[in-house]
Amino acid sequence: MTSILRWVPTSLVSSALRCTRTYSTHVDVKGKGKATTTAAAEDGEWETVIGLEIHAQLKTGRKLFSPASTSYGDVPNTNVNLHDAAFPGTLPQLDLNAVRLSLMTALALNCTINPRSTFDRKHYFYHDIPASYQITQHYNPLARNGRIQIDKGDNGSSRIFEVGIHQLQIEQDTAKSQTVGSSVLVDLNRAGTGLMEIVTEPDIRSAEEAGAFVKKLQGLLRRVGSADGDMEKGNLRVDVNVSVHKRGSPFGTRCEIKNINSVRFLQAAIESERRRHIEHYLNTDTPLAQETRGLNELTLQTFPLRSKEEATDYRYMPDSNLPAMVIDPAYLTKLRDQLPEMPWQSVERLMTEYGVTKRDVETLLGLDEYEARGVKYFEDVVGGNRSVAKRAMNWIVHETLGQLGKLNKSWSPTIIPPALMRELVASIENGAITGTTGKSIVKHLLSLPSSVDPTTELDSVLSRLGIHISLDPSASDDDGGEGLSEMCLKAMGNQPKAVIDYKKGNEKVVMRLVGEVMKISGGRADARKAKTVLEELLKA
Amino acid sequence: MRASAARSIGIKPRTSTTHPTPYSWINPATPGPSRSGALAGRSIAVKDNISYTASPTSCSSSMLRDYNPPYTATCVTLLLKAGAHIAGQTKMDEFGMGSQTTHLPPFYTPVHNPASPTPDEPPRSAGGSSGGSAAAVAEGSCWAALGTDTGGSVRLPASYCGVVGLKPSYGLVSRRGVVAYADSLDCVGVLARDVDTVERVFNVISHPDEGDMTCALASSRQKVDSILESHLANLASSSPFSSPLTGLRIGLPTESPISPPQSLLSHLAFLGASIQAISLPYINLALPAYYVLASAEASSNLGRYGGGWYGSVDEKEIRDGESGLERRKRVRTEGFGKEVKKRILAGTYALSADEFDNTYLKALHLRQLLRQDYQNTFRIPHPLSPSTSGLSSKTDGVDLLLHPTAIQTAPLLSATQEVKGDSEYRQDRLTVPASLAGLPAMSVPAGKGEDGWPVGVSVTGQWGMEGLVFRLGRAIEEWSAGQ
Repeated sequence: MTSILRWVPTSLVSSALRCTRTYSTHVDVKGKGKATTTAAAEDGEWETVIGLEIHAQLKTGRKLFSPASTSYGDVPNTNVNLHDAAFPGTLPQLDLNAVRLSLMTALALNCTINPRSTFDRKHYFYHDIPASYQITQHYNPLARNGRIQIDKGDNGSSRIFEVGIHQLQIEQDTAKSQTVGSSVLVDLNRAGTGLMEIVTEPDIRSAEEAGAFVKKLQGLLRRVGSADGDMEKGNLRVDVNVSVHKRGSPFGTRCEIKNINSVRFLQAAIESERRRHIEHYLNTDTPLAQETRGLNELTLQTFPLRSKEEATDYRYMPDSNLPAMVIDPAYLTKLRDQLPEMPWQSVERLMTEYGVTKRDVETLLGLDEYEARGVKYFEDVVGGNRSVAKRAMNWIVHETLGQLGKLNKSWSPTIIPPALMRELVASIENGAITGTTGKSIVKHLLSLPSSVDPTTELDSVLSRLGIHISLDPSASDDDGGEGLSEMCLKAMGNQPKAVIDYKKGNEKVVMRLVGEVMKISGGRADARKAKTVLEELLKA
Repeated sequence: MRASAARSIGIKPRTSTTHPTPYSWINPATPGPSRSGALAGRSIAVKDNISYTASPTSCSSSMLRDYNPPYTATCVTLLLKAGAHIAGQTKMDEFGMGSQTTHLPPFYTPVHNPASPTPDEPPRSAGGSSGGSAAAVAEGSCWAALGTDTGGSVRLPASYCGVVGLKPSYGLVSRRGVVAYADSLDCVGVLARDVDTVERVFNVISHPDEGDMTCALASSRQKVDSILESHLANLASSSPFSSPLTGLRIGLPTESPISPPQSLLSHLAFLGASIQAISLPYINLALPAYYVLASAEASSNLGRYGGGWYGSVDEKEIRDGESGLERRKRVRTEGFGKEVKKRILAGTYALSADEFDNTYLKALHLRQLLRQDYQNTFRIPHPLSPSTSGLSSKTDGVDLLLHPTAIQTAPLLSATQEVKGDSEYRQDRLTVPASLAGLPAMSVPAGKGEDGWPVGVSVTGQWGMEGLVFRLGRAIEEWSAGQ
């Protein structure tokens, strides 16, 4: 029973889902959901208008109106409170943390918070809804009128534009139900889980833009901490409204494709729907039927679920068991102050302040989408010394993460404590140690079974590695410099022909001597300094 | 004197000896040794829609036949904690829908009104929907009983059976565990043979509950207490002559089709109350609002039955070739009685997209107008109103409203089918307004009708002012005892 019920949505679309997901990778290979731009270019007179309705499970650990846990993948019907099963006389107890997180999300989406929002009941009879109504916010949602900017290049978006957020509301998720033979199995573990429903304005014009929006939203949700946005687990599901019209003419008939659970499927659904509409308009004079459709994940084609005529009357009614939520403006100010820097804000700020690349900042953000510890780590390493920022980024993103990747280990800010990394970068910057030495230090630190004491200094790491270099840049002329001079002299001794050639005027041969110094030092010498020292010695 | 008031309806043994019994379930456990607590050793019956793990809670419906709630309602838990013994569960109109306790499933015997002046009278209705609770109190088989009141379901049976019945302010008693009929109107009420007993039980069950978000917080209750205290002090200082009702202003709604007995009014005036006619013009318009709201909420709340969740025999039955939807239709068709189905249909209609604006929304608006009527009428400010900053009272306005509870004495059980239409409407006009406004209202026995059967009068107060309601109730009780 567990395995049967482990998959995601409730609609008819999903009945084939468990198996299609296995096959879908095959289908995926050539398409990769990126075919849209070329197709769009072919028939440029058509414009696609897209609006999204997103359901994101709130990450509070408990259900919206009951204290039952919401952990994923548990044995069916183990995380159930009597209220989730709609037992007579049970009453909803609103999770205020869910409200707080939803408010934070709405603020991050630049929404206007409704000072007084209310809960309503949406009625229908189905196995997945024991009370025969879902508690949602129909008449007075939590927030309205938000917006979020999509940048050119985001997921292949070809323009900068804003997606309006029509509204954000809180509601209950349904149970999962599955027909097995002649019986219906119901798993109430998901029943009553809190959802944020986020409805956009029809501001999106292509599959890539829709994908860009979902990805941006996922980043926002994770950074706010309100949801994990995991589409694979069904924790974030997308319904998409698509219509197609010729530029300059009114909007076409809109169709809704329900319960899409990956960005790739979202883009495929839009593309399939766009083609279907254009084909319809080109080949027939009859109006396009307004429908609710599903996506066949094998063929990547949409198919009809129900027509507008079959639409249910949900008999929306205020829920008298839940008092109106009156949001104190002071509380809202507090929440606004607590809002973390959004991922795209981090990108912009780091690029401006440190001159680092977007790609590198995105790598840092990818390290921890929830707490942005990657960004914090970078800034800790830089420690106000902006001149080392680029080098620091290089050592974090390329050297450290590159080596971690090879070791198949995950990153944490404690593997190389920021202070130690700062010292390492500074020592390389001032030439106290060479890049090669730096690399071996990183390699050594990453190989350690446990994290390094955050107070560890580079000195002690070096001595443990048997490297004896003074890290004090002012002393380098006496100590390290002297060592270098010795090595240079030795190199000149080893390569007498090079010395003669140099004195004849072939100054390029100094590099051969530098190479010799590097060989003697076992790669630890600073090549730049060695060259200087050699030149001095040769001119003497 | 209060004891004699009780005696006038005849105290009977503390087990139900009447046939048919008002109980749907009698607790087989004998009361334990008298424990400590405010209600130690007291035997209290609860209505069949209040969850108690020890007993089936059927709401007098085939739909929930043999349903054993896996948890106990907060109000019952509070009674048990206070040392009370649960005497049993009492019959009711199915899911609280009705006013005669005649909408019963076929497996229940009817409920007879025990307040008969002579033993050989034909059986009369105990009123409803908490008819079983009122009858159990009247026959003396319990010390007090809990009922529920959505539009008069505690007050009307109290009046018919000659007992005291309180519908508290909406939100003072937790509804957790009380099977919903109409959430915005449902209140757990108390029935007993005298006001003191009602007050003692009320004081136990009127308690904050995190399990019910509509249940008043401790801070709101403190505000109520200080407003009441300050008002009582004002009353006492309003006249140098101290008598029980000094300074109290009682309003008689002109919309009431009948008036309280004149001698009662003279008695109250003698005790220091001033009596004046007042008008609540929206009462008449508010009645249709009640029918819309109650049935709309019922259609929503009763949607959960038939899905196969609560273990009734019909729900468990599997018929070959029957789809889930077909089974749901069958269970709902067979499991609900006629009255319940009628209200579900009416409520579903009211909530349908095409009707909503013209039915439900209008009803909400009328309800608001009626509430405003009441607020204009009362001298004491609404304790939960955001504008109620201090404890200042208006100079004009009344403290309590008084009118008969019922338009008649208990009808013959054989005639209950005829109690429909106009008279039902006139009856509802007396009890429904306090429900719509969420105000405390209590029916107190006020003598006998010409036929010798009990008559009750209702006292309605500002939200949270049960203390004042009890005060006037006791004065009425005193007058009744002297009759």
